[in-house]
Amino acid sequence: MSDQYLGEFEQLVLLAVVRLAEGAYGVPIRREIERRTGRKVTVGALYSTLDRLEAKGCVSSRFADPTAERGGRSRRYFRIEPLGTEALAHAKEMLDRMWKGVRLA
Amino acid sequence: MPKLPPGLAELILRRLVPGREGEIIAGDLREEFESRGGGRFWYWREVLSCVAVRLSPHRLTAPDLRQDLHYAVRVLRRNPGYTLTAMVCLALGIGVNSTVFTMVDELFWEPLAVPQPDRVMVIARTGDETVCSYRDYQEFERRVTAPGGRLFSGLMAYDNIPISLDVEGSSQIVMGEAVSANFADVLQVPAQAGRWFAPEDEQPGSDPVAVLSDGAWTRRFGRSMSAIGQRVRIETQWFRVVGIAPPGFLGVSPPHAMEIWIPFTSQPYARELLANPGERERPRVQLMGRLAAGTRVRAAEAALQTVDEQIRRAFPRDTTSTGALTLAVSAGASNPGVREVAAPISIMLLSVTGIVLLIACVNVANLLLSRSAVRRREMAVRQALGASRWRLARQTLAEGMVLAAGGAVLGLFFGIGANRLLARSIPALPHVGKVMLDLNVNWRVAIFAAVAALASAVLFTFSPALEHSRPGLTSSLKGDQAGTRRMRQRDVYVIVQVALSLTLLIAATLVVRAMQHAQTIDPGFAMDHRLAARIYISEPEYTPESGKLFLARLLDTVRAAPGVRSATISYTTPLSFSDSTCTSTTPEERPRRASSDVVVPGYFDTMAIPILRGRQFAPIDQPGSPQVVIVNQTFATRFWPNEDPIGKTVWLGCDVKRPRDMAEVVGVARDAKYESLDEAPRRFIYRPLAQSWVGFVALIVDASGSPAEYTAPLRALLHRLDPNLRVYEIQTLELAASDSLWKVRWQASLLAVFGGLAMLLAAVGLYGVVAYSVAQRTREIGVRLAMGAQRADVLWMVLARGLGLTAAGIAVGLALSAGVMRLLAAALYGMSPLDPVAFTVASLAWMAVAMLASYVPARRAMRVDPVVALRWE
Repeated sequence: MSDQYLGEFEQLVLLAVVRLAEGAYGVPIRREIERRTGRKVTVGALYSTLDRLEAKGCVSSRFADPTAERGGRSRRYFRIEPLGTEALAHAKEMLDRMWKGVRLA
Repeated sequence: MPKLPPGLAELILRRLVPGREGEIIAGDLREEFESRGGGRFWYWREVLSCVAVRLSPHRLTAPDLRQDLHYAVRVLRRNPGYTLTAMVCLALGIGVNSTVFTMVDELFWEPLAVPQPDRVMVIARTGDETVCSYRDYQEFERRVTAPGGRLFSGLMAYDNIPISLDVEGSSQIVMGEAVSANFADVLQVPAQAGRWFAPEDEQPGSDPVAVLSDGAWTRRFGRSMSAIGQRVRIETQWFRVVGIAPPGFLGVSPPHAMEIWIPFTSQPYARELLANPGERERPRVQLMGRLAAGTRVRAAEAALQTVDEQIRRAFPRDTTSTGALTLAVSAGASNPGVREVAAPISIMLLSVTGIVLLIACVNVANLLLSRSAVRRREMAVRQALGASRWRLARQTLAEGMVLAAGGAVLGLFFGIGANRLLARSIPALPHVGKVMLDLNVNWRVAIFAAVAALASAVLFTFSPALEHSRPGLTSSLKGDQAGTRRMRQRDVYVIVQVALSLTLLIAATLVVRAMQHAQTIDPGFAMDHRLAARIYISEPEYTPESGKLFLARLLDTVRAAPGVRSATISYTTPLSFSDSTCTSTTPEERPRRASSDVVVPGYFDTMAIPILRGRQFAPIDQPGSPQVVIVNQTFATRFWPNEDPIGKTVWLGCDVKRPRDMAEVVGVARDAKYESLDEAPRRFIYRPLAQSWVGFVALIVDASGSPAEYTAPLRALLHRLDPNLRVYEIQTLELAASDSLWKVRWQASLLAVFGGLAMLLAAVGLYGVVAYSVAQRTREIGVRLAMGAQRADVLWMVLARGLGLTAAGIAVGLALSAGVMRLLAAALYGMSPLDPVAFTVASLAWMAVAMLASYVPARRAMRVDPVVALRWE
């Protein structure tokens, strides 16, 4: 689906999910983005984006067993789907094409 | 001990993002909260950021809500009879409400059809019909639009008046506005053809001009452009048509629709008053202005009050209206008097239609309850499979919403139809011209219907939803039909319906009876065989002298005509309009207004009004002789309670500065009704025509035959006397009397319609309950028949149930009516609000309807075949 367009923040979230692989749930995704980009990410922004990506079919999620350190609450792990991989690749390709031959002074 | 995140924030988070997703986010936050070692502020900010999660589009249309609605539509489509009944009930309820609301909207909120109507202000004076004199208006205009303290970009004066418009020989009374020349500039209404008024049109000696409404142009000139430049005659003057107002513009005096506009100063009476420099208080006008950019309403109001005081100080006067000026955005009827009359009627109508809607809602609730009985099993299965109670209740709510939405759409269509009907059948108000009431459905009406539908949906699904959400699992799964509690609830519904609709029915019966009662009120004069013709004998055709001579000749001729028993002349037409004059019993006292009439000798004979004391007017009462008056009983007892009024002096005239006229009371006439049959006794004073000339009079003829048939001969007779004589409507006095009762007739017809509708809806409800109980008890009836019960017994058993419910409803309704009917007392013309006839008639009518509504299901019960019924086992 080449018309799948990803916003900048969506790309960051997707890349974080890819980087974290098996360990991708809310807390590390946020840390990953904050550490690598220096941007503050609120939990609301993160989950509304993840919800949207899931609705588009770019990621899927599963609920793990509750843990005590979270006050008896479970974690929601995210995994990238083929559609998400394709959309990321498409986004990168688009940027690369735009950068090709551009030289900033 | 580890710190815990703030509990309130967690609670809010759980509200913002319900379900498992909320738990996950809370878990994430807890984990981070601990790892960063606290930070309540941080925690709160994170929680508030979850609004973004809540607002994300796919969560707004939660998949299960869509599923609910989808399922609701499917269920409703599978049961078309049930759906249609419910929707039609709701549509009737919402329809009548939106019709009445449209009317109320037109009277109170509809903005003027001008650009930026919210900047157009109506200026009113507390406790006064008008705002100020035309001279004061000019002063106001100069001061409030002056470049310095500019409050208004323009201020205009107007007055709405009945205008008799001559078109090709026949005269017709239409409503018009006499306006200042800047009228259209202030309102920013362009002419669709020709022009509006210019300042030159106000100059003395200018050619009188007029602007016609789009409707008048269509009716009188067939939308021909040649209308511009044509002359129309208004009373004595010819006016040249210079422009046509745009379609949809009906003037600034709703609910009256204007047909013509003329410059205020081209009215003869206004010109005369304005020519007198000593006259500061008349002619009086209403004011409207367009606020200057950036001016706020309250600031403008305060500033206007200051200007008002300045003008008063600059031009002192004796008779002062002291009310404060108020400013309001023009919407609906701008005249505070109209609003005052309309407000109680509107409240009454809206509450009546509200009750109708309530009854319709109860009907639908009943339908849903009976459906819920059918679907008990389904609900129990769903619950057993893990559906939450809220989920089941929501399913019922979704069905309610779908029903209400359908009902609202149907109701709006129904309302539009009803509006058309109503607009056509609104009785013309005597001497007031056409009432506009376009009754268009606008966004306010649509919102009203939507809110009504939503409120009804909540109302009628509330109890069934509760019901659905707690099925006794085991008994329902077993298919047990027990449900006495639900049965009792439905019975209560029916009783409430019967009670409410009976109350409306009693109100309707009371008002209808009051209307009949009003028609038997003694007017105090003889109406039968009498008819009145309004004729115009004034300039330029007649001077007062030649007019008097003509009237004498006219009376002689008419009295001598075959079929005429007697004839007389008065200024007013009884029971259609009355005049008033200022009177006082001492020359110093402030004059008070009393209703008045000007009549010729013999008037009291023709009208059969007895003179209780003193004498009638006589030919000796001439302009040169001492002025005389005849007063009515109320006048005499008010001013001379224990004295003989004959020979007393009455001072006539409104102007306190000028000497008033002295007149001697020569007679006392019995009280009569003067303006309408339903009026209270009022002070009344008669003056002889010879001493107080008017050129616009009613010729009253007592014909020996049917008065209606005498109309044509009378017109021919008048035409022979003077072919150019202007004759307006000829009307029998009985018709005038019945016209004067338009208000009660209007209320009676509307209440009768709503009362009937309420009864119909409640009858449907009753039928539903009885029919349902028959369906439920089919097996029992079968057993009874098999055991040897007579079919008549079964019939009676079912009938008794319906009638029992009705009787209970009637009992409640009677008690309720006894309490609320006194609210109607003012509209009943002295009839008791507890009129036993009305109460009995309405109750019997309901009993008859209940009989019918229960008989149909009872017959079905009687026909139950025991074999078929028992095979159900």
